[in-house]
Amino acid sequence: MRETVSKRAPTLNLPHIAAGEGIVAVVVVALVAYAALYASPYGLRVLTVAGVYALATIGFQIVFGLGGALSLAQGAFFGLGAYATGILGSQWGWTFAATFPVSLLVPLAVALLVGLPVLRLESHYFALATLGIAQVVHLLAVNSPGLTGGANGLPGVPGIVLFGWAVPRGLPLAAIVWSFVAIGGLIAWTLARGRWGRALTLVRDDPLAAGTLGLDVGRLRLTAFALSAVYGGAAGALAVHTQRVVSPEVLEFPVMVSILTIAVVGGRGRVAGAILGAVLLIHLPEWFRFLERSYLLVYGVALLAAIVLAPHGLTGLIDRLFPPRPKPLPIPVAPPVPQPATGPVLQIADLGKSFGGVRAVDGVSLVLDAGSITGLIGPNGSGKTTVINLVSGLERPDQGRILLSGQDITGSDISGWRPDRIARAGIARTFQAVSLPPGATVLDAVAAARLDRDRSIVEAEAHALHILGRLNAADLAPRPCADLPAALRRRVELARALARQPSVLLLDEPAAGLTDAEKADLATHLRAIAATGTALLVVEHDMGFLLPLAGHVLCLDQGRILYDGPPEGVRSDPTVVAAYLGEGAA
Amino acid sequence: MRRLLPVLLGLAIAAAGPARAESLSFPVLVPLTGFLSLEGTSQRNGAVLALKDAPASVTISSDVIDTGTSPEAAVTALERAAGRNVAAVAASMLGTQMLAMLPLAAEYKIPLVTVSGTASITEQGNPWVFRFFPGDAVTKEAHARYVVEELGKKRPALIYQTTAYGQSGKAHLTEAFKSLGADLVFEEGVDPAAKDLLPVLTKALAAKPDVLVLHLHSGPTALFIRQAAANGVEVPIVAGSAMHQPSTAALLEPAELKGVCAETAASPISGGSPEVEDFTAAYRSAFNTEPDAFALGQYDGMRMVLEAVKAGARTPDDIRKALSTGTHRGLAMTYRSDGKGNMAHSAVIVCYDGTSRVPKIAKRYDNVTGVVK
Repeated sequence: MRETVSKRAPTLNLPHIAAGEGIVAVVVVALVAYAALYASPYGLRVLTVAGVYALATIGFQIVFGLGGALSLAQGAFFGLGAYATGILGSQWGWTFAATFPVSLLVPLAVALLVGLPVLRLESHYFALATLGIAQVVHLLAVNSPGLTGGANGLPGVPGIVLFGWAVPRGLPLAAIVWSFVAIGGLIAWTLARGRWGRALTLVRDDPLAAGTLGLDVGRLRLTAFALSAVYGGAAGALAVHTQRVVSPEVLEFPVMVSILTIAVVGGRGRVAGAILGAVLLIHLPEWFRFLERSYLLVYGVALLAAIVLAPHGLTGLIDRLFPPRPKPLPIPVAPPVPQPATGPVLQIADLGKSFGGVRAVDGVSLVLDAGSITGLIGPNGSGKTTVINLVSGLERPDQGRILLSGQDITGSDISGWRPDRIARAGIARTFQAVSLPPGATVLDAVAAARLDRDRSIVEAEAHALHILGRLNAADLAPRPCADLPAALRRRVELARALARQPSVLLLDEPAAGLTDAEKADLATHLRAIAATGTALLVVEHDMGFLLPLAGHVLCLDQGRILYDGPPEGVRSDPTVVAAYLGEGAA
Repeated sequence: MRRLLPVLLGLAIAAAGPARAESLSFPVLVPLTGFLSLEGTSQRNGAVLALKDAPASVTISSDVIDTGTSPEAAVTALERAAGRNVAAVAASMLGTQMLAMLPLAAEYKIPLVTVSGTASITEQGNPWVFRFFPGDAVTKEAHARYVVEELGKKRPALIYQTTAYGQSGKAHLTEAFKSLGADLVFEEGVDPAAKDLLPVLTKALAAKPDVLVLHLHSGPTALFIRQAAANGVEVPIVAGSAMHQPSTAALLEPAELKGVCAETAASPISGGSPEVEDFTAAYRSAFNTEPDAFALGQYDGMRMVLEAVKAGARTPDDIRKALSTGTHRGLAMTYRSDGKGNMAHSAVIVCYDGTSRVPKIAKRYDNVTGVVK
């Protein structure tokens, strides 16, 4: 068990809390004792700077660690907060009580403004775009001397004044900064442990699957980006109160590099990682200062050693040395049963989709009745998966309509029927290549399907365990998804789709790679699911599995319906035999 | 008791022993890494060379701490140094770092001895800063006066850097040229990271200037001059102080430097007096490199501090008073505070003849007020 737990990618999930955060608590107590009893003014200053970077990195952990988006704008948000405090404090005479909220709001507003277009970009394009934001803000700061003091910056930023008390340098300032770290860390930790954090982690691991599980990927990413900006702004404001001067250096790339390095060395996605990383990496160069310029070499070697020895960061190393105990499984609880549907549930009319010059789906129409099992067959490239993608919203049709219980859910820019909305309306699906988050347990993966409808993680997990039990897979619950063989991965993915309690279930080659016994077992489960009123559309190549299971079969070829009738007629239909089954199968 | 007597006597003698020299610390907090590492290293070397020859009555210690180029690192370095019987600090030449260090220096009451040219560091009303390098008000007046009065040019084109150094110089040059009746026909700021300055050179020439005035850092200065030479530009170039640095000249062939002039506080490799030549020889011997005006300015500054110590100053406040009120005949010039901590009021113009990388002093400007009339 220890081995399997240690293989998990670092997340903010519950199983990691005990050891990692426990050791961090010891470190925090030691730091408090050091600060209060031993540290010189210099030591307190370094500790204060470490607190500032810890706060900025906690925010970065949300968007980068949990959300998986390499935002290189965190340095810009840090700088925006710094300049808001610097300008308002030194030029307008505002006090901390007024400048601090503004320093949170300015980066928040910028994040919301630029986030909408930028967050649509994929991985490295997103990183480059966010880097561009930082460059633009830096140029504005340097070339607006009337407002920002230009390249010289603005001196004379006042210190923090709280309720009339001017916080002096040293221990009081360090205590204030670390209080903000504690508050910020607690908020981030709570968010990450909850449904929002789980949902964000799933968006990081598999955004396509997240959408089909009812999660609004765009909104989750935007919220994470905006939240990270607030943390960045808060850290920037505190940095300026510590330095008493603001200059373009707060917007330069080294700030971003420091935050990124702290996150990676500390442990990606972990609040504890941000704190440990900041304390270590801000102190590390100070320990080697006596080496004059050679300290950079030693610093670089130390960093390299840290990354090689602890590839998952310091918190990952702690987890490896002190593996956390697995959390106890919840008591399974059956989720509330929705009103069973009757009659036609899904109606597809004249559906069409082209990719360039290729007509992938061409005038497909079909109807799924509640409780029915419909087979969708055809040669590779005939358009089967594209039909499922069109129905689930991952692709947008060029023509045709899709009605779910009479409601038009055809995905388009105008209608706004994105995958998450379609999923929430009652359509669930599985994928041809099973898609499960590698760092999650089976229970986590299935509970993810309940995040948008259950009130808490505990409730979602109790429901998820019940669903796993229905598929005779409850014993898999604590196992990491990454360790499962193909057949069990398919079972878990089916459980996840089933946890949505859909009215329509789209299964893309569910029997691929299964043994005969496993296929028979799967068929039993699918019949049981249909018996509850769910309409099933099963894409499959294995006629021996599908034809006895399905009540109705459609065969596609080059995007068009070749056959639409009972399963008994498939093998005898000359067009199906010619295009798909071959003469020997008839 | 008789047995104890020799022991007590021995202890008393040991305690009375030869008088121990007082210990004073002069930390050197300069940028040794980052884009100002060349200049910062010159600062370091100048300070270290000066501190080698301390008065016999005191023991000198001097930690060298890299401040990088961020204000945060500079303040942290000052906080680190402050707790160690500090008498004065050789402080960074980077203006933003100085601005960040000033409040802390005032709080700890520690004199900062610097060669920063950023005008605003002596405009904060802080009595603990002393600048041993002419500020932009001085050097840019000399720069503009040489262009207008000596070269007779009336249509200057200004290319400056988009940094604190560049923006400060640009403001003073614009004002000085305006006062001299030679309004700029072109001005443009360039990023220090720009890898090709031909576009800005082309645009500047399109404005038909009769002189190209540069206020760029070392690398961009060399790049601009190389590209101007390669394109056969015949308009004279009068550059900023970065050009006088031997490390800048080393990036160019002597022929490319023909006719190029530059303003600076001093050019130790150009000689001028036996004392300056001795300094240059000692510097080469100690650091195996050529000294520049920053090294000489920092050297002069720390020598003035040590003169104060030799005269009896033992506390930071003693040294502050000595620097505030005294006069020091340094190697580059004679230093005296203007009441704000500006100690240097002279500048020189050096020019290259195209046969070597060692410039000759073409014009000296003393007692420059910074107000062009």
